[in-house]
Amino acid sequence: MFSVILYGRNDSHGYNLHKRAAISFNALAEVMSDPDDEILFVDYNTPDDHPTFPEAIHDTLTEKAKKVMRVLRVRPDEHARHRLQTHLVALESQSRNIALRRSNPRNRWILYTNTDMLLVPRNKGESLSDILGGVPDGFYQVPRFEIPEMLWEAAFDRRDPAGNLEKLRDWSVRFHLNQVVHNYMPMKYDALGDFQAALRDDMFAIHGFDESMILGWHCDSNLAARLALYRGRVDTLVDKVFGYHCDHTRVAAANNKGRATRMNDQDRYIWNVATPYIPEQADSWGWPEVEIEEIRLDRDTPYQRFTAGLDRAIEPATLPFIQSSLDWHLYEDLTYDLPHTLPFVCDQVVTYPRNTSLMLVAARADFVESFAKAWQGMGFTGPLLIPQECEGIPAGLPGVERAPFDVQLAKAELFVFEFGLATQTPTEPVRTGRGIAPLDRKRLKVVERLFKRAAAREGDSRPEGRRTARRFIGVNVIYNKFWTTFTNHVGANINPFCSQVLAGPPRQDDSMKGKVLKFRARHSI
Amino acid sequence: MADIGILKAAIGPVSRLWRRPAAVEATITGGTPEEQARRLFRDGLAKFRGGDSAGALADLDRALALHPDLADAVMTRAELLDSLGRVEEARVGYQRARDLWSAMPCGGADRRYLFRRRGQFAFEIESYDVVRSNVRGKILPQLAHGNALLARGRAAEALDSYERALKVDPKQREALALKGEALSALGRYAEAIALFDGVLASNPKDVETLNARGIARLASGRLAEANEDWQAQLNLLPASSSAARGCVAMRLGNHSVAYAEFEVARTKEPDNGYWPLYRLAAGRLAGMVIDAPAVPGDGRWTSLLLGYLAGQVGEDSLLEQAISGDRQAEARFQMGVAAAATNPAVARRHWKDVVERGHPALIEVAAASNALARLGS
Repeated sequence: MFSVILYGRNDSHGYNLHKRAAISFNALAEVMSDPDDEILFVDYNTPDDHPTFPEAIHDTLTEKAKKVMRVLRVRPDEHARHRLQTHLVALESQSRNIALRRSNPRNRWILYTNTDMLLVPRNKGESLSDILGGVPDGFYQVPRFEIPEMLWEAAFDRRDPAGNLEKLRDWSVRFHLNQVVHNYMPMKYDALGDFQAALRDDMFAIHGFDESMILGWHCDSNLAARLALYRGRVDTLVDKVFGYHCDHTRVAAANNKGRATRMNDQDRYIWNVATPYIPEQADSWGWPEVEIEEIRLDRDTPYQRFTAGLDRAIEPATLPFIQSSLDWHLYEDLTYDLPHTLPFVCDQVVTYPRNTSLMLVAARADFVESFAKAWQGMGFTGPLLIPQECEGIPAGLPGVERAPFDVQLAKAELFVFEFGLATQTPTEPVRTGRGIAPLDRKRLKVVERLFKRAAAREGDSRPEGRRTARRFIGVNVIYNKFWTTFTNHVGANINPFCSQVLAGPPRQDDSMKGKVLKFRARHSI
Repeated sequence: MADIGILKAAIGPVSRLWRRPAAVEATITGGTPEEQARRLFRDGLAKFRGGDSAGALADLDRALALHPDLADAVMTRAELLDSLGRVEEARVGYQRARDLWSAMPCGGADRRYLFRRRGQFAFEIESYDVVRSNVRGKILPQLAHGNALLARGRAAEALDSYERALKVDPKQREALALKGEALSALGRYAEAIALFDGVLASNPKDVETLNARGIARLASGRLAEANEDWQAQLNLLPASSSAARGCVAMRLGNHSVAYAEFEVARTKEPDNGYWPLYRLAAGRLAGMVIDAPAVPGDGRWTSLLLGYLAGQVGEDSLLEQAISGDRQAEARFQMGVAAAATNPAVARRHWKDVVERGHPALIEVAAASNALARLGS
């Protein structure tokens, strides 16, 4: 019957985002009763190495919410095409149109709202699906009622949407929450963007939201203006459903700078709107040519993929714990425990697109073997690119492509550089003062040289069309001789030694020292 | 994310305007009952927004006594009762308003968006009038006001609104096209065509203006040129717009295309009574042998027309329900369809009647014009 369209990213937009979003997702799912109903959440521009926002809070969602939610992930590289034109990190029009394009065509209605709304049918026995199924074609709004922050934060149980809706029925009376704020046409009510229900056919006919609105604000009013023209009327569902908003203004959101807030031009986008249509974007709205990843919370989750990958690659531990050490004299010891380290490496990659091409440069053959198994087990379909310059790699590993480094550099979307000892055996203890054998030295030299060249040339060797910097993952680069090497070229956070892994984009260092380092790395001096 | 009150600050005087004193009694009494009802509705609305619930309710009741089917008043009254806690009474009102709007006729699916909507737009006429008084020098309030008026057949007032919009931006293409629509509705076809020519010169793919110019050309007796516009429109409309494509094909007398498009349209919009009717008519005119479809027994006008074409409703019963000029034209057109295969002379007589009496914007008038052209004079 209807598709709810929401957007956001895995950040901290406003006060206690996680709680109000969970409350909202669960409450929206609660009022769905048609098998075709869906919540489309466009996760816009979350960093590649982060999970999407709904994935990050999945444990607070009800089974029903997880079942009806489709997460459409828009990667930073897609956003990069707009980055120079806007100060915003999430674009509303683009997000909502991406969802609209990909919404269930069997649904008659599209409901635009936000991740802090709860919809309470006035007739307890009715779902929102029943309500929308029973009203004539049109463009509907409901007034927005505010919930004081104390109430939703203190009294709502995220995983009890039915109880929350019941509380609202009670509070609305006890605390006089229901105040209809009329607005001037074409905005029937204040804060109209929290409930605009339009026919899916109408939204396609008017070419969706206006994607030239990239400065934030008024996207909802522009839609109202255009749909009001198109439909002639703005109808109300105030007799059927009340909409409640979790107030979150204790802390201003990123797009709210008070009077200094930059926003889309009101005159252009509201008062001088002359047509419902946007012919300039008739063929491009919602990015039909872009393949958007879809993530479900009720199946094939990142956790399931992560564990499936590791289960293929490592056996369970047989000892209560293993030991390592930070003693100063062990700084030169490059041994590390592979089964312990691999989960941290996989953790760095599991959120990437499945078709990612990953360049793997490693000294240890067993690391390559294990990672290749985990990579496949996690469901990645992209190749592992291992430069021919790396020696000692077992042949015939599934999904591995071998070619000269320079050829593979322009194909790689993610890098893993492993700085281990080729001669380390699986059973030997780690960090006990072991020396580096000639073979180890030879292999590590190759890894270091390729790492520096890759980092230095990252900006000018990206795959065609890629706009954002690629990420470098360093394995066994904490508190040993490669710590400095890695962090000279990669802007990594400080991580605990125990993980053995650092990661980040190529470091931008415009100092003379940085320039010299980059020059030397580029030419492998 | 949702807007804040910045806009509110920009046009604060609006709220004061809603609270303006209701019009004096003297202004209520002149004009037709419908006009009086509209004025009472306007005053009731102003009182409602101004906090005078009792006064608002009295005005709205009086409006509805004069014009019981004024859906906008029914809806506003329901909202008022709802706010007063009379929820059950309100619920009945909300539903009745929606039913009234749904039962209203609307224009062809191939026409400009504003003609395709159902409603009386009394609320919109009043609301946009308030907005345009306060948000001066802007286009939207004028166009929206004009559209609401034009959709209600108040073309002269609509023309005034569009001209005000054009004072803001004389080259605004959409406002020029809408002005053309208003002129066309006023029978000033030559002026309308001149405006449409200009709009289409800058955007030849404007399917709604192609349709509008076709209608104006037809009304000017230029059938061949009208057909050129509609053919261009048909060529430009996407395959997904089956109802619009069917309507244009019907105007053109391209019956096989119309049949196929309405076949799709009736599946997509099963509640629209025109699509099975037009499908059957197009099929008959294309010489197809089509089984009579099931005729809904809902008493709707389209069901009567379909029943007539299916041989289940007599001519007299049909004409008895043809209570408006548009309905007369629709009935006569279908009577021509029914007679076409067996008695072309009778068909010609009916279709001539459609062309002479029907509004040029009606699909049936264009279709009858083309049918007559093919039959020869």
